[in-house]
Amino acid sequence: MNAYDRSIIHLNVADFAVAVERVVDCRLKDRPVIIAPEGAARAAVYDMSEEAYRNGIRKGMALRRAVRLCKNAEILPPHPDRYEHAMGALLKQTLPYSPLIETGEADGHLFMDVSGTARLFGPPVDVAWRLRRQVKKDLGLDPIWSVGPNKLVAKVATRLVKPDGEYIVGAGEEKSLLAPLPISLVPGIEAADLRRLREFNLTRVFQFTALSLEQLQIPFGARALFLYEAARGIDPSPVLPVGQTPPKVIADHEFGNDTNNISVLERVLYGLVEQIGGRLRRRRRAAGQVAVILDYSDGMRRIRRLAVKPATANDLTLFALARRTLLLAWTRRVRIRHVRLICDRLTFPPAQQDLFAAERKKKKDRDNLILAIDDIRNRFGHEAVRFGRSLAA
Amino acid sequence: MNTKTPKHDCRLWVGTSGYSYAEWADAGFYPPGTKSGNMLPLYTQNFPITELNFTWYQMPKARALERMHRQAPADFRFAAKLTRTLTHEIDPGQWRGQAVQYRDGIAPLIQARKLTAVLLQFPPSFVRAPQNRRYLAALLDELDGLPLAVEFRHASWATDRVFAELERRRTTLVTVDEPDLPGLFPRLDIVTNPGLFYIRFHGRNAKGWRSGNMQKQFDYDYGDDELRRWADTHIAKMARQASSGVIFFNNHVRAQAPRNAVRLINLLIERGIMGKEG
Repeated sequence: MNAYDRSIIHLNVADFAVAVERVVDCRLKDRPVIIAPEGAARAAVYDMSEEAYRNGIRKGMALRRAVRLCKNAEILPPHPDRYEHAMGALLKQTLPYSPLIETGEADGHLFMDVSGTARLFGPPVDVAWRLRRQVKKDLGLDPIWSVGPNKLVAKVATRLVKPDGEYIVGAGEEKSLLAPLPISLVPGIEAADLRRLREFNLTRVFQFTALSLEQLQIPFGARALFLYEAARGIDPSPVLPVGQTPPKVIADHEFGNDTNNISVLERVLYGLVEQIGGRLRRRRRAAGQVAVILDYSDGMRRIRRLAVKPATANDLTLFALARRTLLLAWTRRVRIRHVRLICDRLTFPPAQQDLFAAERKKKKDRDNLILAIDDIRNRFGHEAVRFGRSLAA
Repeated sequence: MNTKTPKHDCRLWVGTSGYSYAEWADAGFYPPGTKSGNMLPLYTQNFPITELNFTWYQMPKARALERMHRQAPADFRFAAKLTRTLTHEIDPGQWRGQAVQYRDGIAPLIQARKLTAVLLQFPPSFVRAPQNRRYLAALLDELDGLPLAVEFRHASWATDRVFAELERRRTTLVTVDEPDLPGLFPRLDIVTNPGLFYIRFHGRNAKGWRSGNMQKQFDYDYGDDELRRWADTHIAKMARQASSGVIFFNNHVRAQAPRNAVRLINLLIERGIMGKEG
């Protein structure tokens, strides 16, 4: 718990991509707009306007179906550069008010921690209101805003008033705000949790909060504490300083020809693991989580993550996990255009040894092997020694 | 602090505009480290009424106001600002719906008989032009039945015809104390509603008034002589003409508001305009 109240502002430009396109072309105002890649054989909807949403169009829906549902919709290709630019402009508007500003990835979301700034800038609600007015005037975007005691509550609050409006949640009101809501509105509660909760016939937050932590631990294990706190509006996570995202190591591969050949994907994935593993070892860090992002040729994106326990920087261990994550993300027959591997939750390499001698030896052998490969590569170059699986078939 | 005075039979409530300010803990009004959720119960130990500002930023929500008023004693009173979408950011196609929402939102205060006034504060840009006059009339009709008080920030509204119309509607004209700057609504002690007068002390920070920064605009400490003059002249006169009155201090920046409010209460008690027992 914090010794003082925090005031977190959440700005959320609803349907960000459409909102940005409407600034560029004001004729799109009040018309149903769908953002989807053009020319792709089985393109999927990337974003849509409120009008299109009301016609039944959803993110990820096949474009062909979306067009059938909303015949008069204007279809635009995604312009990620425009969204990034608009996000930068939005961030610039907020910079004078706080050093603690955390943005989403060009998605129109932004958290600001304005705790303790009242003497300089006035009450947080006034800062939020002025910001919205300024953003509307300068950028032509109209963000929803909320003020809450933490990020989780502030985010729920903007979800409640979407597509426009504002919501102020006072300290101490977290629990009562969440109580009547569907559990799916609580950020951080994922599809797998929801499935499990449905099995217990729990759909609303107040039904869920009737359970004790001990009761939750039976079906949810280590995740129980997070769920227990989230449902009560408890979220101690800080708003990170501007530009400071949690450290992570990223490697990408874009296929020249989209593919759904598993051996090609595994070869590419191993290459990515080698890149990341090398960087982790040079920084004397180990990864606590791997994530795989797959972009399909129709514009659909799948993201899956797995925890790495214990944290490691060993290519062989990381690859085994990355491969499992890849298979979790790879659920469609559509070919893949782009694969990204991310390792985060970086820690110092764990000092704890395995309990059993055999395990210990196995781990030591794996580490020695990678160390030896690193030594050879450092001396003779990356191509001097390679794993068979990284060679093209 | 709030009681009937045998002399004028006018019941007075004195408080501040808003009560939830972290700076007030730094300035000593609240104990150090007081969390915003605990401020209202502490505030009610000092004052019998407050003016809700957050209802200007956000349409009031019945559930939140229900919870809030339960934190206050039964005889505590509220004045609530009208939401900005009805005073500052008016959408011709939407405002009637907003008025209905507002009425629904503050319903718990009406039901609990704790709502003393609804404050319609218009911006300086809201001048007395035909379109604005029509809007104001329509808004007052739409909000009929609520205890309405209208605050103008532009001098063009200071005419007898406006006062007569407010009087006809038994709607309160808010008396303001603010800097002597050209174009601002003047300091007038006119009572248009015999049921209620309403005074707001904004401070006289002429330099900060148009700075666009609330922290400069409302940074002012009323001197004893200024408050004394108010008590002796305007308040005494208005209390003779109305059966009740509310007085709020909005100079909140460094907790001058609660200090000045306490001082004014003492001055009013000394003069017999307000009773001692609260």
